[in-house]
Amino acid sequence: MPAITLDHVRRVFRTSTGVIRRKRKDVVALEDLSLEVGEGELFGLLGPNGAGKTTTVKILTTLLIPTAGRASVLGYDVVRDARQIRPRVGFVFGGERGLYYRVSGRDNLEYFAELYAVEPRRIRVRVDELLDLVGLRDRANERVEGYSRGMKQRLHLARMLLHDPAVLFLDEPTIGLDPIGARELREAVERLHAAGKTIVLTTHYMFEADALCDRIGVINEGKLVALGTPEELKRLVSDKSVVELEVYGVGEEHLARLRALDFVDSVAVERRELRELLRVQTALGERAVPRLMASLERLEVGRVSVREATLEDAYVRLVGKLE
Amino acid sequence: MRRELRAFSASTRLWLRYMAVDRFMLFCAFVQPFFIAVTVMYMLHHQPQFDPVYVVVGSALTGIWSVVLFDGSWAINSERFQGTLELLVGAPSSLYAVIAGKLAGGMAFSVTSMALSYAVGAWLFGYSIVVRDVPAFAVAFVLALIAIGALGVLIAPLGILARSVRQFLTVLEHPIYILGGFLFPVLLLPGWLLPISYALPPYWAAVALHGTSSGELSGVAFAEVCAVLLLSSLACFVLAAPLFRLVLRRARVEGTLSLT
Ligand SMILES: Nc1ncnc2c1ncn2[C@@H]1O[C@H](COP(=O)(O)OP(=O)(O)OP(=O)(O)O)[C@@H](O)[C@H]1O
Ligand SMILES: [Mg+2]
Repeated sequence: MPAITLDHVRRVFRTSTGVIRRKRKDVVALEDLSLEVGEGELFGLLGPNGAGKTTTVKILTTLLIPTAGRASVLGYDVVRDARQIRPRVGFVFGGERGLYYRVSGRDNLEYFAELYAVEPRRIRVRVDELLDLVGLRDRANERVEGYSRGMKQRLHLARMLLHDPAVLFLDEPTIGLDPIGARELREAVERLHAAGKTIVLTTHYMFEADALCDRIGVINEGKLVALGTPEELKRLVSDKSVVELEVYGVGEEHLARLRALDFVDSVAVERRELRELLRVQTALGERAVPRLMASLERLEVGRVSVREATLEDAYVRLVGKLE
Repeated sequence: MRRELRAFSASTRLWLRYMAVDRFMLFCAFVQPFFIAVTVMYMLHHQPQFDPVYVVVGSALTGIWSVVLFDGSWAINSERFQGTLELLVGAPSSLYAVIAGKLAGGMAFSVTSMALSYAVGAWLFGYSIVVRDVPAFAVAFVLALIAIGALGVLIAPLGILARSVRQFLTVLEHPIYILGGFLFPVLLLPGWLLPISYALPPYWAAVALHGTSSGELSGVAFAEVCAVLLLSSLACFVLAAPLFRLVLRRARVEGTLSLT
């Protein structure tokens, strides 16, 4: 039995805009999502902003009810059996919110230990263990309002683990962490994976998914656009290379012209200060450069480089844009 | 049940601690009732039939009611603004128990602070605040707090049902002072208002506390008032359960547990 199943899950949000004349608008966050995550698997959910990653996680943690379709965790239905799911899963949503700021980190953990019905005489030990794990032991008695962003995130990680859940959901856990903090967090995730937990991780960082995940699902606009191991996804671009061109003042008409070229697979633009970085995927490699330059015509072109395609390029190709 | 009791008491403790570390909150909690007590005592102390305990009980009731009404109608939304509501809902304990615990913490805090302010106020004016029937008053005190708190538990899910409901609740603050007979007897009100008073748990709380502190309420009449307080508490607690289920279900359908 898979640990997690999503079966044609659809989720629509009804939003209203306008103050005087209220207009109702439906936002489709998940169009029709089906996938399975095996027990003990570390599954990465990847996708651009607004793709529906958080929505998926919230459905699986019983915080949102799907508009249509069914989802289950450990065999329990997320709507009907929410009570069975809640004690068995742990979750963190990236960011600093969701803590009681005016009390200490330890108070926060002890409080949630009570809510998760951790055995009363084990609470102290468990909280200390977790404070050690996330490296907050010596700041544990200070108020959370004085914690740095990374410390708050680590506190969330400890909270998630209080009741030793079998399934973990981490929604962008490394967002806003410094490189060392992010690496430590990734190491912690690896240890949890090694300990046999089923883990769903959402991220914007390709290398993170590549390094950690057994399998990756890429979603875009509420649809699953690719599913496989990092190697399988890389194979999508195995024979490709990427030409990166620094340009100044690229317009839609240039992009359209590049995309129309028969040897070009995809074009992505990253806007930087005063210039843009074009990433063109092609099987031609260096030989594509003169022809690309030609079609950019009078546009000023700066640095040009050619390299082999990576998982990130596979991702760019799948979702059609850069983060 | 044991799980819910743990969630209840943990929430009470968390909120007591939360309020105790907030200097502004401490200031409000102690200074405001203190000034009310001093003002009322100063205004009334020339009147021959002035009974300090009546004034203390009455203004304490107004204080408790304000706290319960405010805390009750904001209890869930404040968690939402802090981003903790999702964590509470995603935990196995019931939100009902958590919110009830939070309200209990708020009440315990404000009752303690009021008792201290009144003690100081009375000492300054040289009054002795005498409760005539101490055991009955103690019983009435506990039952009255439970009854008003139970109303708060009912208000909590109502507070997020709709903005209009919350606004209506806020408007209720002062009328209840009067309809509840906190500071003067409801018999001074037009007769047609009395049925409304009789339907309000705070009214019975006031009857019990004023009656036992003055010693006028005892025997069967006292037992009856206690029964009314218990029944109204029970009714609020029972009615709140489906309301909590309703608002939680709706929040999960509409996606309003968090702010985004
Ligand atoms: N509570 C809500 N009410 C209305 N719309 C919502 C709500 N939550 C999400 N949405 C919409 O659903 C879509 C998917 O959002 P979701 O948060 O799942 O994306 P995401 O993949 O997590 O994006 P990000 O990378 O930015 O976190 C977005 O268009 C978003 O605006
Ligand atoms: Mg998200």
